[in-house]
Amino acid sequence: MTWFFSGVLLLLASGAAAVLFPARPRLSERVHLWLSLAGAATALVPVLRVLAGGTVEGVRFVTGVPGGAWVFAIDPLSAWFLLVILGAGVAASAYGTCYLAAEAEHGSVPFGRLVFSLLLAALTLVVTAQSVVPFLAAWELMALGGYFAVVFDDRRDDVRRAGLVYLVATHAGTLLLFLLFGTWGSHAADLTFAGLAAASGALGDSRSLVFALALLGFGVKAGFVPLHFWLPEAHAAAPSHVSAVMSGVVIKTGIYGLLRVATLLGAPPAWWGWTVLILGVASAVLGVLWALAQHDLKRLLAYHSVENIGIILMGLGVGALGVAYAVPGLAVLGLAGAVLHTLNHALFKSLLFLGAGNVLRATGTRDLERLGGLVRGMPVTWTLFLVGSAAIVGLPPLNGFVSEWLVFQALFQAGFSRTPAELSVFGAAALALVGGLALACFAKVCGVVFLGQPRTEVARAAREVTRGYLVPAAALAAACVAIGLWPWLVLGPSVKVAALITGVPRETALELARPAIVAGRWIAVLAALGVVVSALLWWLRAFALRRTSVAAAATWACGYARPTARMQYSASSFAAPILGVFGGISGVTAVRQPSSFETRAANLVLERALVPLWRVLRAASVRLRPIQHGRLQLYLLYLVATVSLLLIYLAVRGSP
Amino acid sequence: MTVAIQVLVLVMVLALAPLFPGVVQRTKSLLTGRRGPPVLQLYADLAKLWRKGAVYSATTSLVFRLAPAIFAGTTLVAACLLPLDGGGAPLRFAGDVVAFAGLLALGRFALVLAALDTGSSFEGMGASREATFGSLVEPGLFLCFAALAIATSSTSLTTMLGRPLAAVWTAAAPALVLVAASLFVLTLAENGRVPVDDPATHLELTMIHEVMVLDHSGPDLALILYAGAVKLTVFGAMLVSLMIPRGGLGLIVSVAVLVAGLTAMAVAVGVVEAVMARLRLIRIPQFLVAASVLATFAIMLLLSA
Repeated sequence: MTWFFSGVLLLLASGAAAVLFPARPRLSERVHLWLSLAGAATALVPVLRVLAGGTVEGVRFVTGVPGGAWVFAIDPLSAWFLLVILGAGVAASAYGTCYLAAEAEHGSVPFGRLVFSLLLAALTLVVTAQSVVPFLAAWELMALGGYFAVVFDDRRDDVRRAGLVYLVATHAGTLLLFLLFGTWGSHAADLTFAGLAAASGALGDSRSLVFALALLGFGVKAGFVPLHFWLPEAHAAAPSHVSAVMSGVVIKTGIYGLLRVATLLGAPPAWWGWTVLILGVASAVLGVLWALAQHDLKRLLAYHSVENIGIILMGLGVGALGVAYAVPGLAVLGLAGAVLHTLNHALFKSLLFLGAGNVLRATGTRDLERLGGLVRGMPVTWTLFLVGSAAIVGLPPLNGFVSEWLVFQALFQAGFSRTPAELSVFGAAALALVGGLALACFAKVCGVVFLGQPRTEVARAAREVTRGYLVPAAALAAACVAIGLWPWLVLGPSVKVAALITGVPRETALELARPAIVAGRWIAVLAALGVVVSALLWWLRAFALRRTSVAAAATWACGYARPTARMQYSASSFAAPILGVFGGISGVTAVRQPSSFETRAANLVLERALVPLWRVLRAASVRLRPIQHGRLQLYLLYLVATVSLLLIYLAVRGSP
Repeated sequence: MTVAIQVLVLVMVLALAPLFPGVVQRTKSLLTGRRGPPVLQLYADLAKLWRKGAVYSATTSLVFRLAPAIFAGTTLVAACLLPLDGGGAPLRFAGDVVAFAGLLALGRFALVLAALDTGSSFEGMGASREATFGSLVEPGLFLCFAALAIATSSTSLTTMLGRPLAAVWTAAAPALVLVAASLFVLTLAENGRVPVDDPATHLELTMIHEVMVLDHSGPDLALILYAGAVKLTVFGAMLVSLMIPRGGLGLIVSVAVLVAGLTAMAVAVGVVEAVMARLRLIRIPQFLVAASVLATFAIMLLLSA
C-alpha cells in the first residue's frame, strides 16, 4: 500500500504543481504532466501485483473514531478498477495537459488541471476505501472534482446548466448512499466493509431494501436508463479529456459500487439478477437508439456510454442469475464479461472522446452536419477514431468484441442451463440488436465526420493536431488492439475478479472459465487469419490493377454531372430509417420542409419527465411559502418544535 | 489429416460458390418464361472484372480501396467456422458462433464506410438502408443461434450444426423447422434478395446492397461479387446442415448432399424471386421482425420441452 499512497500523493502533488507557479505556465505544465505520469505508474505497481495473483494488500488507520477504522485495501476487484482508472485516466491527463493549454480564454487552466488531478486521486481512493466514512468522503470529493472539471468553460450558459443537472443528480445519488449505509450500518458493529459484510446476514428483509438503494444510488452515477438523464448533458459540456474520464471512468465507479455491495451482501436472490438484466437490456437498447438520434459528436458518444453500461449490467445480471440458480460456470462467465467490458469501454470510450477532442480542436465544432472529409486533413486522428469505433461496435479483432463475446456466451449458456435463468437467452437477441444499431451509429459518425466531402469551410480547412494530442490517443488505441489480438492477457485476471465477486474459489473459477480462456487463443488465431486473408486479397487486387489502368473521376451520381457536398447523405438522413422503425421511443422529431430535412433529438427523461415533475413540485411548494417569513424568531420556534418532537418520539419509543 | 480434409472441402465449396447465384438466376428466368444467362455466368463476370482497370472517385480515400478486401476476407474466414464436411469446421472453439456474426458485421461495416466514402447521396442511401436492415437481421440471426445452442447445449457452430442435430430432429422437429424458416428469411435479407432487395433492378432508388457498391469497379467489384456469392453459400450451408444432419454419412456422400442441398437452396431462392415482388421499404422491418418471431417461437418450444 505504500506504493499506492505514494502514487496518490504524487497525483495530488501534480495538481498542486499546476497552480503553484502561475508565472511560469510552461514549467508548471511540464511538472504537472510528469508528476501525474509518475503517480499513475507508482500506483500501478501494487495493482499489477494483486492482479498477477498476489495477496490482498491493505492498511488500516485512524482507529477509534466514530464509524470504525479507516481501512484501505487493494483486492482483485479494487485492483481491476484501479487499472481502469489509472489506464484511461493517465492518457486523459496527458491529453488534457496539451488540450487545456489552448483553452486559456475559456477558463482558468491551472484550476482545470488541479481539479482533474483531484478527480483522479479521489477516484483511486473510492475504489480502495474499505470502510464507509472514507468511501463516502472520497465519493463526494470525486463528485465535486467532476463538477468543477465539467464546468471549466463556465461562461457558457449550457455548460453551467449541464453542471447544475450533474450536481443535483450526483447528490441525489449520494443521499441514497447515505440511506443505504445508514440502514445497513444500523445492523453492523462498525462501519468498515468487513463489519457490513458480517452484518449482511442480520439484515433480514431489509437486505432487498439495501440492494434497491444501492441500485438507485450507484445507478445515478453509472447512468443507466432511466437514471442517465444528467450524463449526456455533462459529458458533452466538459472539456474533451474530462469527458473521456467522466464517460470512461467516473461512471464505472457506479458499477464498482454495485459490485462491492454485491460482494458484501452475499448470494443474491434471483429477482435481483432479473432486475439488473432487464435494466441492462433497456439501457443498452435505448442508449444506442438515442445515440443514433444525436448530431452533436460528444453527446452521441455520451449516449453510447449509457448503452455500454447497459451491456455491463447485462453481464452482471446474467452472472447474478448464475449465482442465484447455482450455476457457477454461468456466474463466472457473465461477471467476467461485465468486468472485462468495464475495462474495454474505458479504453475505447476515452479514445473516442480524445478523437472528438481533436476534431473539436481542429474545426471548432461538434455538429456532425458541419463536418465531413476530415480523412484528408487529419489522417492520424481518423485512424485512431476508426479503431475506437470498430472496438465500441464490438467488431473483431478489437477489445470490444472480446468482452461482448463473453457476455454473449454467458447468455447462450444460460439458455441451456436447465434452470429458470434460461429465459435470459433472449438477452442475446437484445445484445445483437444493440450491436447492429451501434454499427449503424458509428458508420454514421465515421462516414459523416471523416469521409465524403467537407460540408463547410471549417471542415475543409481542418489540419492534423500536434503530437501531444495524438500520443495519448494512440496509446489507448494500442491497448484496444492488444486486448483484441491477445485476449488471454486480460481473460485470466477478469475471471479472478469474477471469482471474488461470485464467491467461487479462484481455482474453480479458472477451471470453469477454461473453455473461454482456451477459446481466447482461438480468437487470436481467427483475428490473425482475418488480417492475413484480407491483406492477401488486398495484395492480389493491387497485383491485378498493376497490369491495367487506374483512373480517377468524380463520384458516379447516376448521370448528374455536378454533385456538391450538400447533396451527400447527412447524419439526419442516415439515421432516419432506423429511428423511423422505432417510432416514438427514439425521442426524435423530424422537421421536413421542401428543401431541407432535419431531426431534433430530445433527452426524453429530463425533458419529458423530470423537468415537468420539477415544475409541478415547485408549483405545489408555493403553498409552503407562508411558513417562510424570514423572521428569526419563527425559525427558532421551528427548530425547538422539531427537537422537541424528536425527543418525544424517542421517549415514547424507549431508549435507542 | 481430418483438418486437411476439412480445408479441402472448404476450398471446394469456396470454388463452387459463384455457381449458386447463377442457379438462382436461371431458376428465376425459367419460371418467368425467359432463358436467362448461363449458370456459370458469374465466373465469366469475375474473370472479366479481374482483368479490367478500376475507376476511383476523387472523393474516396484508402477506406474505399480497402473495404472490398476486408469484406471478402471476413466472409472467407467466417466460412472457416462452418462444419462443411458434416463433421467439424477447420476452426472451432467455444463461442465461435459469436465470432462468425462478428466477422460478417465487420464486412458490412467496411462496405458501409466505403459507400459513405464516395460522398454520393445514392450510396449514402444504400449504406443507410443496409445498416438499418442489417441491425434488424442481427437479432433474428442470434435468436436462431440461441435456439440451436439450446437444442445442442453448445456455442460452437461445429456442434450446433453437427451431429447432435439428428437427435434433436427426432425430439423437437417443429422447433427446428421454425429455425430453418427463420434462417431462410434471413438468408434472403442478408444476401440482398427479393423480397428485401432486388439484385436485378437498375433503378438505384429501389435498391439496397447494389446501390451501396455502385462506385466500385474492376477487381474491387469482383471481390465484392465473389464475397457476396460466398455469403449466400455460407448461409445456404447453414440451412443445409440444419435440415439434413450428415453425421453418419461418409465424406463423399456428405459433400454430395451439401452440394445438392446448396443447389436446392439456390432454386428455392430463385422460386421466391420469381413469384414475389420486392416489398415496399417500410414493410421490410416487419418481414425481418417476423423472422425473429419465428425463432422466438422455436426457443419457446425448446425451453418448454
